[in-house]
Amino acid sequence: MAYPSMGEAHRRTTDYLNKFSDAVSYQDVASLAHLFSFSFSFSFSSNSPSLLSVADALNFFQDSNRLIKQSDKFSQFGEILAPLFRSLQCYRLGNLVDAYHAFEKFANVFIQEFRNWESAWALEALYVIAYEIRVLAERSPEKLKGAGSFLTKVFGVLAGKGQKRVGALYVTCQLFKIYFKLGTVNLCRSVIRSIETACIFYFEEFPRRDKVTCMYYTGRLEVFNENFPAADHKLSYALTHCNPLREANIRMILKYLIPVKLSLGILPKVWLLEKYSLLEYSNVIQALKRGDLRLLRHALQEHEDQFLRSGVYLVLEKLELQVYQRLVKKIYFIQKQEDPSKAHQLKLEVIVKALKWLEMEVDLDEVECIMTILIYENLVKGYFAHKSKVVVLSKQDPFPELNGKPVNSWRLTL
Amino acid sequence: MLFCIIFITVTTEGERAQRERLRDLAVFERLNGDPRKTSSALAVKKFCRTISLKYAQASDVRPLSVLEDTLNYLLNLLDSSEHPFEVVHDFIFDRTRSIRQDLSMQNIVNDRAIHMYEKMVKFHVVSHHRLRNCGSSTISSLKFLNMEQLTKTLASLYILYEANHSSNSIHENEAEFRSLYVLLHLDSKSQQTESLSFWFCRVPSLVMKSKEMHFARQVLRFYRMGNYRSFLYTVSAQASYLQYCIIEPYVNEVRALAISYINNCCYKLHPYPLEQLSKLLMMKESDVESFCHACGLETLTDGGGNKSLPTKQTTFSIPKGSFQSYSLLALQQEERQIAI
Repeated sequence: MAYPSMGEAHRRTTDYLNKFSDAVSYQDVASLAHLFSFSFSFSFSSNSPSLLSVADALNFFQDSNRLIKQSDKFSQFGEILAPLFRSLQCYRLGNLVDAYHAFEKFANVFIQEFRNWESAWALEALYVIAYEIRVLAERSPEKLKGAGSFLTKVFGVLAGKGQKRVGALYVTCQLFKIYFKLGTVNLCRSVIRSIETACIFYFEEFPRRDKVTCMYYTGRLEVFNENFPAADHKLSYALTHCNPLREANIRMILKYLIPVKLSLGILPKVWLLEKYSLLEYSNVIQALKRGDLRLLRHALQEHEDQFLRSGVYLVLEKLELQVYQRLVKKIYFIQKQEDPSKAHQLKLEVIVKALKWLEMEVDLDEVECIMTILIYENLVKGYFAHKSKVVVLSKQDPFPELNGKPVNSWRLTL
Repeated sequence: MLFCIIFITVTTEGERAQRERLRDLAVFERLNGDPRKTSSALAVKKFCRTISLKYAQASDVRPLSVLEDTLNYLLNLLDSSEHPFEVVHDFIFDRTRSIRQDLSMQNIVNDRAIHMYEKMVKFHVVSHHRLRNCGSSTISSLKFLNMEQLTKTLASLYILYEANHSSNSIHENEAEFRSLYVLLHLDSKSQQTESLSFWFCRVPSLVMKSKEMHFARQVLRFYRMGNYRSFLYTVSAQASYLQYCIIEPYVNEVRALAISYINNCCYKLHPYPLEQLSKLLMMKESDVESFCHACGLETLTDGGGNKSLPTKQTTFSIPKGSFQSYSLLALQQEERQIAI
């Protein structure tokens, strides 16, 4: 830690104060936002060590309040600056919990001022505040819940009529990130409800970046709830509108979009998996192509932890029925080649043999059960003759394609 | 049952006197059946909704060892056959809720608390099962409230497990109790809570690899796929008593759907033999027949006395009320005494 001299500390602090008041007077949002971008300034990759040096100065100087009160130019912002300085000092000393508290205090006062400003000139600064609140809270996790409440308040300030409303989606995205981290995704529902009206009426007004992020998170929620058509719509939107240079973001979207597409019977090409390092899906896709149930089970086992953690495991598990369909289809084609007139009659025995060859021990009852499911779910067209232990396939289109519609999970319709 | 001195602090004098005066005594608390008299040995502290930490006195809250003994006393009442089960359940329901209240007010989060919570979860699970077979009119609200407390108690138990995790190990019974969560959420669409997918993200890996969790996940997979055969077979072969109590409501649902599938997909000229159905659905053949009728389907009997289900009937429907309980063959179905 660098220890400046008293004079130097004095100079740096005054310099900061000048920058702040000038930024507000001239509505220079970029300079203003820079003054409280803790995570940016303190990261090693930053080229502007100024916040670091100001923090050192404050810790050394210890009497910034006197400086603030000294001049009218600064004292008008006294209530904003005092907690901001405190936060900066705590942050520099690694005292993150106190840094969060003080930052929230600063943010609170800033929001009040922001409310009073007619125009939305300081919106970018507000984004930085929302971002910093989240990031600071993530580093002291017991504060995450509080950060969520605070940001909900900020959302309230922005939502409604006027130019400021375009900022609401950014804050929403920060809230999504917090709720996902906290594990309270059910709270996302209320956020979504709040933003829904806005989205219907002026979605296009929002910045593209925020729309992509929003669609990504709401798409993920649809995946959790297994609403595949809705998940497809949202995640595809995120994909098509995402900056193509942001490969990490594209990868994140694809991680969820691929299982969704698979559930709708759409298989991605291998080069996509290779390009975005999503090779954990390659065996799953192979299994679907080949009707290889053993391979599917193996793929799920091999990457179980990963799939469970990202929340796509149950989605992938459900692909089993499609794999069965493919297997039965292959048997049908083989039979067709050998004897076209009898091809549409599938003996259960033959299916049992095929599964045995895949090292899966199943008995006739089990296969009969699977076949009735396939028929019921319209993955196979035909009927089942129990006495002769044969599935009779329809002569026309016996294996309907999913065509973008998910397999209907059976539910008793009361 | 011998009552020892410990029970003197089960309720406070003040609470006892008030409840005697107001005749607010449960059947189990009455001295010689007199609704106006109780004793320190019989009276158990009631759950108080409006209790506030600020005004609670130290003497109002029971210490851990008293709570443990009280819990054991309460759970032993489950064996009593003097009173209908709803009455027993209602009493234990309230008094265990009060125990949980005392535990949380004192912020007791150790191993002993875990054992107590496990016992209370067991109580709610067994009640969930037994209340289904009760006939009274207040049953549905009792069932609903019981389920509510079951989920609350289970959630608290999980928090206790997590608070007590030492490096890379899980609690002795944790796997089974975590598996109950999965089984409670087989039908995720009907829940308002977070999806299982999301819940799985945060379960410790050791739990996920356990035998009990493996079973629950298999059952989940079969249920979601509609694989009635494997669902029923696996449940009858591997479910523990507690797990079965949770799964039981789904068993008839799955059977009904199996019949619906078979009715829908099988060849019209080959009626499906009830003997085979009974094997598939793991029910007695006579039960299968009445089950089919309950689902609005007719059955046939041929000359040789063989019964079958004609297929492609259009009258299939789920009965309005819940199904009558049919035992699951090959599962030891006697009401086991759970070691509490």
